Amino acid sequence: MIDYFALALGHGLMAIALLRLVLRDDLDGDPLLTRLKADTAAYRMASSAAGRNAARRARDKDAVMTAPEDDGEPGQ
Amino acid sequence: MLDLVFLAFIFYVLLLGLQRQFLWVLLYVYIDILAPQRIGYSLISTMPVSLIAFAAAFGGWLVLDRKEGARFTARQGLMLALLAYCWWTTGNADFPAEAATKWDWVWKALLFAIFLPFTLTTRARIEALGLMLVLAIATIVIGTGMKTVLGGGGYQNLKFFVNDNSGVYESSTLATVAIGLIPLIWWFTRHGTVFRPHWLVTAFAVALTFACLMVPIGTEARTGLLCIAALGVLLLRYTNKRLMFITAAGALGLVALPFLPQSYYDRMATLAAPGGDESASTRVAVWEWTLDYVAEKPFGGGFDAYRSNRFAYVMPVKQVNGNTTTVEYREVVDEGRAFHSSIFELLGEQGWPGLMIWLALHGLGLWQMERISRRWKNAAAEEEAWIAPFAAALQMSALVYLVGALFQGIGYQPVMLMLVGLQIGLASYCARIDSARVGHERSVKRRDAIDSKLGGAVAA
Repeated sequence: MIDYFALALGHGLMAIALLRLVLRDDLDGDPLLTRLKADTAAYRMASSAAGRNAARRARDKDAVMTAPEDDGEPGQ
Repeated sequence: MLDLVFLAFIFYVLLLGLQRQFLWVLLYVYIDILAPQRIGYSLISTMPVSLIAFAAAFGGWLVLDRKEGARFTARQGLMLALLAYCWWTTGNADFPAEAATKWDWVWKALLFAIFLPFTLTTRARIEALGLMLVLAIATIVIGTGMKTVLGGGGYQNLKFFVNDNSGVYESSTLATVAIGLIPLIWWFTRHGTVFRPHWLVTAFAVALTFACLMVPIGTEARTGLLCIAALGVLLLRYTNKRLMFITAAGALGLVALPFLPQSYYDRMATLAAPGGDESASTRVAVWEWTLDYVAEKPFGGGFDAYRSNRFAYVMPVKQVNGNTTTVEYREVVDEGRAFHSSIFELLGEQGWPGLMIWLALHGLGLWQMERISRRWKNAAAEEEAWIAPFAAALQMSALVYLVGALFQGIGYQPVMLMLVGLQIGLASYCARIDSARVGHERSVKRRDAIDSKLGGAVAA
């Protein structure tokens, strides 16, 4: 009788635990790691876009400062 | 009827696993620990349920799992080395037939422990494995505890679901594993997410802890008593009110004393005076024999190498005749005595190389859990606060196991190897968080640097 009780209790709890687990998305993909990776990717994308913009502005600024005043269209 | 219930449960998990394949890994853990195929006696005993579960677990992982962040670690390498070394010693064993029998389950246990960390890629999976270990052992322990309380205990007298001294169904092994899992049981009352912290969970933990403590009492396993003492000492580290803890533990022990049967006192008395007990007194003789044996064979004699031992010693033999008890010192000849210690089991069977690998495997685990426990001690966020207590619980489990292993040949115990797999899984998970965080911080710094450059350029 005790054996049947122990088996029923243990299997009942395992069955509930497994059912709860199957309904969880975080079983296959960890939320913390996913968030960290997504943030890193977003920062990288932002920083690379910002980096590109900064580089372009710096180039434009340099071009304005070093260009001769009569720098016009060839043949003008 | 019982067979049908087990088969229905296995089918239920197989079905759930179609949605999340990791559940098949848990199914193998359940079958390996509880051995339903040996509890049942008709249909299920003829089916290779263990093989089916392993094939599903491995196949599911190989074909369908994301395998994100799965990595091969140094400790898995150690287990692989031990597996390869055991294979070699089995081929050169002193007793080839007996060695092959033991090899038959040892390689499976080692292989599964090597495989397990590959699947433990998320917090939920780490917790799920811990929960499955606790619930599978709980199923055995609840029955054992109840029988002890209701008066059915006694050395080699208490009946488990399976009574062939195999796997975890050996009294001292069960006592060690049950005591070792107590810290993990209590972790669930604070950090569990499958069963969230609730008074019902705490009540179950209290009852289960009591049942675990009853196992060494009910089975009169001496090693279990040592494990309880070891756990008590280990818990002192995590207790703020140490004096109160010691007083409460002492009071609890004193209250329990009158309820223990005389046979328990008799058996525990042999802890202090092992001379009067054959099982206890032969241990020292076997250990001395093992040292002599490896002096001749430093690379070990393969599984069950102890079978060639034979020694004679003098021990007191009690004879009760009416009211008089006479003690006579007789020479006892013993042969084929088991190692009664995992250290000497590994040493005799796998020689010095095998023992070194085994010690490195567990030593590294203790160090790794200590490192994780300290590293994450101050983590406050819910998604990280569970790590340090989990590492501490696994470390205590490993230490209790090692204390038990000093006096039992449980060097390749599947449950303990699963705990090793769980430790590796946790360490890999923490390393991945650290690595992701380093990448995150680097990208933040880079962004800040670009922002300041951009700001400078605009200001200029």
